[in-house]
Amino acid sequence: MTKKKMPAKKKPSSPSSHRHTHGQGQCLDLLRQLSAFIDDELPSDICREIRRHLGACPNCEDFIASLQHTVALCRHRPVPPLTLADRMKMRRTILDAANAR
Amino acid sequence: MRTIAPQRPARQESDKFDRLYRDHVGLMYRYAYRLCGEAESAKDLVQETFLNAYRGLKDFRGEAQVSTWLYTIASRACIRMRRKRKGQPEHELSIEEFVPTSEGEFRLQIPMEGLNPEEALQNKELRQALDQAIEKLPHKYRMALVLRDMEGLSAKEVGAIMGVNERAVKSRLHRARLFVRRELSARGITHHDDHKSGGLRS
Repeated sequence: MTKKKMPAKKKPSSPSSHRHTHGQGQCLDLLRQLSAFIDDELPSDICREIRRHLGACPNCEDFIASLQHTVALCRHRPVPPLTLADRMKMRRTILDAANAR
Repeated sequence: MRTIAPQRPARQESDKFDRLYRDHVGLMYRYAYRLCGEAESAKDLVQETFLNAYRGLKDFRGEAQVSTWLYTIASRACIRMRRKRKGQPEHELSIEEFVPTSEGEFRLQIPMEGLNPEEALQNKELRQALDQAIEKLPHKYRMALVLRDMEGLSAKEVGAIMGVNERAVKSRLHRARLFVRRELSARGITHHDDHKSGGLRS
């Protein structure tokens, strides 16, 4: 995949056209709350505020997308299955160890 | 008429263990594999877990779900085994270290566009990067991530298993996700067509 093209600078759509210095202020506040936002654990007024910020800040929008992708990948990380032979061998080892007390 | 003789306690205990093992060994192996990152250590951890469960079975009163009880035993066993190996000391992750310092860092992406997670994970490079990122996580953060995002437990359940409150679980989970995100996106993995031809690693 090629990297996303950097979109042309947008004007902040929020009426409060804050000076957008990333890593500070609103972006930093957002960064602290992103997991709670993704997990739907925040009160609705804070969620609204965050959505408004995301609409005005492509950097934060990209950041949150990459965090959501991270969570999705973790959720689907494959695990090789345990074979029947291993299952039986482990059971024998456990019972031998338990009876060796 | 023949009467059925009552089972002897040792036999009852053994039957109970067999049921426990049969019903939960798959779940515990999956958890152990996710924590350890490879099969042999995972099997050691599963054996340690069920050995401890066998010994504690007669005292288990069923206040917690059986699976939660087993997750707790496995998590403690994992910590003990790790201490024995005397690995590198744990370090704390602070939010500040994940604050992007440039626009480029903010906008680093993970190659998933247009793919669902299963398809994206067919990309061997991405899969290996994910495994390595999780392996690099300090233990307490990895455990929170595995229990919450991979095993799908609630923050409350994870807190009970790890012996911390929900707030601590959420804080560890958030830092763990930020860590993995940074590791994955900073690798500059490019999307290619592995998902069309390759199967999952066995």
